[in-house]
Amino acid sequence: MLIPRRVKHRKQHRPDRTGRAKGGTAINFGEYAIQALEPAYVTNRQIESARIAMTRHIKRGGKVWISIYPDRPLTKKPAETRMGSGKGSPEWWVANVKPGRIMFELSGVDEPIAREAMRRAIHKLPMKCRFITREGEV
Amino acid sequence: MADFRLEAETRTEFGKGSARRTRRAGRIPAVLYGHGQDVVHLSLPAREFAAALRNGGTNVLLTVVLDGKEQLALTKAVQRDPLTRVHEHVDLLIVRRGEKVTVDVPVTVTGDVAPETITNFELNTVSIEVPATSIPETIEVDVEGRAAGEGISAADLQLPEGASLLTDPEAQVIGFLAAPTAEALEAELAEAEAAAGIERDESDEDGDVVPEPSDQGSGESMDAAENSSDD
Repeated sequence: MLIPRRVKHRKQHRPDRTGRAKGGTAINFGEYAIQALEPAYVTNRQIESARIAMTRHIKRGGKVWISIYPDRPLTKKPAETRMGSGKGSPEWWVANVKPGRIMFELSGVDEPIAREAMRRAIHKLPMKCRFITREGEV
Repeated sequence: MADFRLEAETRTEFGKGSARRTRRAGRIPAVLYGHGQDVVHLSLPAREFAAALRNGGTNVLLTVVLDGKEQLALTKAVQRDPLTRVHEHVDLLIVRRGEKVTVDVPVTVTGDVAPETITNFELNTVSIEVPATSIPETIEVDVEGRAAGEGISAADLQLPEGASLLTDPEAQVIGFLAAPTAEALEAELAEAEAAAGIERDESDEDGDVVPEPSDQGSGESMDAAENSSDD
């Protein structure tokens, strides 16, 4: 799973969820991609789950690129704890994804296979997404 | 090459308010420049422009009709909203008939590679110098029977008549990779699933169901950062 090797601060503020992606909105490597349509925190487990769903469907053909990285820690206080006593302990690693962001790219397979593989991957993600192709981006 | 004529109108007011009014009216704000001429601010019909790009590709040669005068132009830069996919602004470059222009042309493949081989594009486009009136929509490469370990460099591409290559001829355009063996892929996925805490239903042959990780937020993912500095 994707985890930063080391971080400068273990506990951070929650990332800003407003606005739209200002970069990473074009397909750079593959022929097909999954594009986010809503803002969301995507955990490293969700990224891995989506990648596995896609790889299982395309089997041995094709190549997958992941273009987001879960580099922000989210913390959580233990259950039934009174307020105060400092910030909770880090629980998740998330990528702060904003609308328009390309998250996964895929190449080396036909469009119907890519579409189905990415449909399965989209089910693992916490926001509305869509399938796009390099040709359709002209 | 099909002729794409666009009836342009000169823009007299500028700024985001004016640009938004132009877009609401079904037109795209654009600029036209090149050959040392003054920049002309104009607007293009949105539907016709989108159709021209869709049918002619990114390097489509446009005939822009402005105040009754015709001008050949190429799209130099197209700004597009990544969410709504609406064309927001277009830079048009004036070209003359017979003039050579530099364009990036997409590479496409035909044919089937050898079994157990994956086609991997290193370059999706190559830069060529070509007469403005004969820009190819794509450069096709036949990959029939190609096996893993082989590659196609820019010099191997079949360019159209009158075109010259500007990309480094030794640059690899397409590489052919060996597909992972079924055992290696299964082992890799099983390991990844175990690490992510995914329990897979073994009765499902085609891998249809990959359940969500059952244990969200166990805190074990933080192990790597445990020893990192906090200050």
